[in-house]
Amino acid sequence: MRISEKRAAVNAKSLLPTAVSTSLSALAGAVVLSLGVASAPAMAEGVTIDDLMNDQATTDDIVTYGLGPRGQRYSPLDTLNKENIKNLFPVWSFSFGGEKQRGQESQPIIKDGVMYVTGSYSRIWAIDIATGEELWQYDARLPEGILPCCDVINRGAAILGDKVFFGTLDAKIVALNAETGKVVWRKTIANYEDGYSYTAAPLIVPTEAHGPLIVTGNSGGEFGIVGQVEARNPDTGDLVWTRPVIEGHMGTLNGEESTMTGTANETWPGDMYKNGGGATWLGGTYDPDTKLVFFGTGNPAPWNSHLRPGDNKWSASRIAINPEDGEIAWGFQTTPHDGWDYDGVNEFISFDMEKDGQTVKAGATADRNGFFYVLDRTNGDFISATPFVQNISWAKGIDENGRPIWDPENRPGNPAESADGKKGKSIFAVPSFLGGKNWMPMAYSQDTQMFYIPSNEWGMDIWNEPITYKKGAAYLGAGFTIKPIFDDYIGSLKAMDPATGEVKWEYRNKAPLWGGVLTTAGGLVFTGTPEGYLKAFDAETGEELWKFQTGTGIVSSPVTWEQDGEQWVAITTGWGGAVPLWGGEVAKVVSYLNQGGSVWAFKIPKQLALK
Amino acid sequence: MNENSERPCLLWRHRVSLVSLFFFSGLLLQTSVLQARPYDEVIASGKLVVFVYEDYAPYSWYEGDELRGIDVEIGRAFGEKLGVDIEFLVRGADENIDDDLRVNIWKGDLIHRKAADVMLHVPVDKEVDIRNELAVITSPYFLEQMAVVVDSEELPELPTFARFVYNPIAVEVDTAGDFFLSNAFGGRLHSSIRRGRTFADAVEVFESGEASGLMGSRAQAEWVSDGSARETSIHQPPMPGIVRQSWPIGIAIKHDSRDLGYALGDVITELIVSGRLEKITESYGVSYVKPENL
Repeated sequence: MRISEKRAAVNAKSLLPTAVSTSLSALAGAVVLSLGVASAPAMAEGVTIDDLMNDQATTDDIVTYGLGPRGQRYSPLDTLNKENIKNLFPVWSFSFGGEKQRGQESQPIIKDGVMYVTGSYSRIWAIDIATGEELWQYDARLPEGILPCCDVINRGAAILGDKVFFGTLDAKIVALNAETGKVVWRKTIANYEDGYSYTAAPLIVPTEAHGPLIVTGNSGGEFGIVGQVEARNPDTGDLVWTRPVIEGHMGTLNGEESTMTGTANETWPGDMYKNGGGATWLGGTYDPDTKLVFFGTGNPAPWNSHLRPGDNKWSASRIAINPEDGEIAWGFQTTPHDGWDYDGVNEFISFDMEKDGQTVKAGATADRNGFFYVLDRTNGDFISATPFVQNISWAKGIDENGRPIWDPENRPGNPAESADGKKGKSIFAVPSFLGGKNWMPMAYSQDTQMFYIPSNEWGMDIWNEPITYKKGAAYLGAGFTIKPIFDDYIGSLKAMDPATGEVKWEYRNKAPLWGGVLTTAGGLVFTGTPEGYLKAFDAETGEELWKFQTGTGIVSSPVTWEQDGEQWVAITTGWGGAVPLWGGEVAKVVSYLNQGGSVWAFKIPKQLALK
Repeated sequence: MNENSERPCLLWRHRVSLVSLFFFSGLLLQTSVLQARPYDEVIASGKLVVFVYEDYAPYSWYEGDELRGIDVEIGRAFGEKLGVDIEFLVRGADENIDDDLRVNIWKGDLIHRKAADVMLHVPVDKEVDIRNELAVITSPYFLEQMAVVVDSEELPELPTFARFVYNPIAVEVDTAGDFFLSNAFGGRLHSSIRRGRTFADAVEVFESGEASGLMGSRAQAEWVSDGSARETSIHQPPMPGIVRQSWPIGIAIKHDSRDLGYALGDVITELIVSGRLEKITESYGVSYVKPENL
């Protein structure tokens, strides 16, 4: 910690003379310059907010998490296609080094020939793409007391102006000079001593009132925390607004109280809303069309749903927030009164849906609870929900209002009812608490108009456990174990038509899928597997066209871009994340996988790209 | 001895324990002879690392910069008797005791991979001991019980918890007391539970007069009572549905450090027999209750 602060101080000093002299000597010219390039992207300032908003269309860079603020993970590049993918070759592999490996879930950012990629243990590198050589590395100094719940992963950086931003495991957000890797500012999102952490890629959105804002959620802290979305000034890190996601909590705007989220006690008993959970740990997406920010919220607390009758809003939900003032525009709860740990954090992707001859401003999300939801993104109205995994048992379906038709038989019991100290009745709930789909982002192709969903076919046995202890005191908990549904596979990549809910094709993988998806105008769908393969499929048929063994498990999201007239693909590799932390039968298919930590870059050489 | 002489041994031991976990768990007995160095190591290094929970008055908590509490004093007594320095590893509680044993005793945390030689305040429960084969639970030193402290003017008597349908009760969120109250009488106490983010927060709620009572362990209740500005009394009314009304607590060590456990067990026996432990608890306003012979 101390070292980082020292670095920040040194950096501020070294920046000052440069900045002053530049502004003095270039004073006269600066006016002319700014007039002259008013309409063109201001290269001198680095990445602009317009660059971020247009990221999907500009194929020579990747300046957002999700290849565009909507998070569609669709690239219009078609140099690489079904015919020539056999000529996609690795160019370099860059090791994250050190003894520290574990899960690598990061998506690289690409700008002006430089790759910015984060790794486990809150590290970030800048790499020269042409050579694969390191330009700089920044390691956050993590304090002693930090105890992240799950794995020490990071999902990626954000970029704006001359700064690169990323969140650290001790719940801080750091702004680094993109050229030098030196700290510009460093702000605390939450106190790690209270169990908070940060792992998501920050989101940057435009506003009229405040200019660009950097928007983050919060993560960690099993109990006593309340999910919140926060917006900061990217130049200073100063807080602009906060929006707690659990009803009864007050938001802020410009340092003053703004409005309360919902109404206290409406869907929570007593004072339970005060510690209601709903961590916004996966970050959000933005739709430039409706100008809304979309965040998902985690499961409610405590885990035992029998203690908190009611819907428990807005836990396990998607909420749309107006970035101008942090007000909630709409909310949609995928799992009201959650009892299965079905976090509602999964990404909400905006897309225009052609249905019955009309264009609907839609958004889609594949929830942990196993249903694929399509909503009207302008108001959150429910359009449809379709199962994307098999044998769902917690609900018999979703009704016409988007509410689950619960199966009371498959809600985990109240541990208090087995106070005799005996193991209670066991229920089998599908999906497991790791979800029909977990954090790994899906992709939407504007060509095929299909979503490509990385999913897992597994359920969980849950029973009331005889006895356990917390902080030295005895209480009754629940035991659980995850079980595959089928003998030969858990992972399942599915192509789904959002208009009909029809699954067009499926690729089955023995180990659970834990990496994101990318689709391209070349008719390709990419994803990685825990077995170490980066694979490419035919977007229309699901036929496997190409694969490359990276030497360790893949749990991250691939990207593609164009550089010097050639199409590149990159992916971080390194087995980890939440899956290896859980034993049971799933361990059989993943226990042999080796850790790693690197980023691989591939390209199709110019001469081989022609048919 | 300097630090360097200790390090390689620690690393070596750590590695062996991991190996035995994944591959040779059946060979534990044979390998434990080789691994039974920790007592010698601790003595040689001149330092014992003791885990205590944070924010856990009256057992262990920071008052300003000073670490205080019953468990802390037991830890210091370990140092005195073994003739070594004590380093306290102070961390919050994870979701359950199994997580705490993993993080603080046999594996260490994910970031710095740091664990303690001994953990205090571990429930002595055969099931927990069997479930956690890489830790050994031993040497009960205190009998933990559940209790309520009340303002005796507002509640002169407390025959049952039904009084808390109408009178607010403070409790630390997500603790055994919170689970009991939330479940009690089919949820009828829901609107009168005042949950504190920490135990100190719950105490503040009680002390402010916002709640008529506070639920916690008997030691917590007595400690609050001892320092309270209110007229208070301690009660243990029937707790229908509570999983345990009392249980012994002891220490945990790594499975390959049994000899260290014996040495620390001897210290604990001496503290109990000599009456020193009783003096320690009483200095925090807590009456000493010896655990039953197990």
